[in-house]
Amino acid sequence: MIRKFCLLLIVLTLSGCVGLNTVSMTQIPKDKGQLVEANAHDWVFLNFTTQNDFADKAVESLKAQCVDGKISGVFTKHQTTSYLLVFKRESIVSGYCDLPQGKL
Amino acid sequence: MKKYLLLTPILLLSACARMDHIQIGDIDQSQGKLTPISVKVSENTVDVDTALAVTDAIVTNGSGSDEVEALRTIWALMNMGPRTGNPVFNDTYAQDVLNQLHAQCRSGRITAIRSVREANDYAITSGEIIRIDADCIM
Repeated sequence: MIRKFCLLLIVLTLSGCVGLNTVSMTQIPKDKGQLVEANAHDWVFLNFTTQNDFADKAVESLKAQCVDGKISGVFTKHQTTSYLLVFKRESIVSGYCDLPQGKL
Repeated sequence: MKKYLLLTPILLLSACARMDHIQIGDIDQSQGKLTPISVKVSENTVDVDTALAVTDAIVTNGSGSDEVEALRTIWALMNMGPRTGNPVFNDTYAQDVLNQLHAQCRSGRITAIRSVREANDYAITSGEIIRIDADCIM
């Protein structure tokens, strides 16, 4: 009985359901350039959290991948994966990096 | 009753952050040095349904419970349909965001705009927030 309960607990803990909160996209240029991607997330217990700064990391990562360039066609996906009592909030961002001629 | 009195300040003082929406715009680092700018506007509101639920729980042994239940139903019917966060009683609180953003960027060239719709939940009240983070091209 305890074995079954433990197995069920493990299955419940490891399986998560994803909820897609929002999706947005900006204009895509004709000359798209190189694809850059970034992902930022945080874990919250029972939705108790005091900050929403985790998404800033994704922006910083995108900037670092396209120094002195212009990122357009920015696709932002904000999703939440629900595990047992724990939630993973995630921002997945991608865009096209257009570097100036000298930087290519 | 003592328990409720003890619980009330704890609930009122602790806040939980909620994020509803984030949108990231184009990021242009080719025009010059970037300086971060930010605008945040907030509107305080009451989560009427939770407030009524708490009232209902308190008066559940009294004679007022049916009336509170009726009020909850009326409120739920009035607020049917899709919405983001708790309803506020002022629909213009986010109107001036653009001007405030421009006031922080003298060059007028703004890039990497992050529009965030979030909130601070304090038990039965909440601050419905609109935050715009961006970079000013110097």
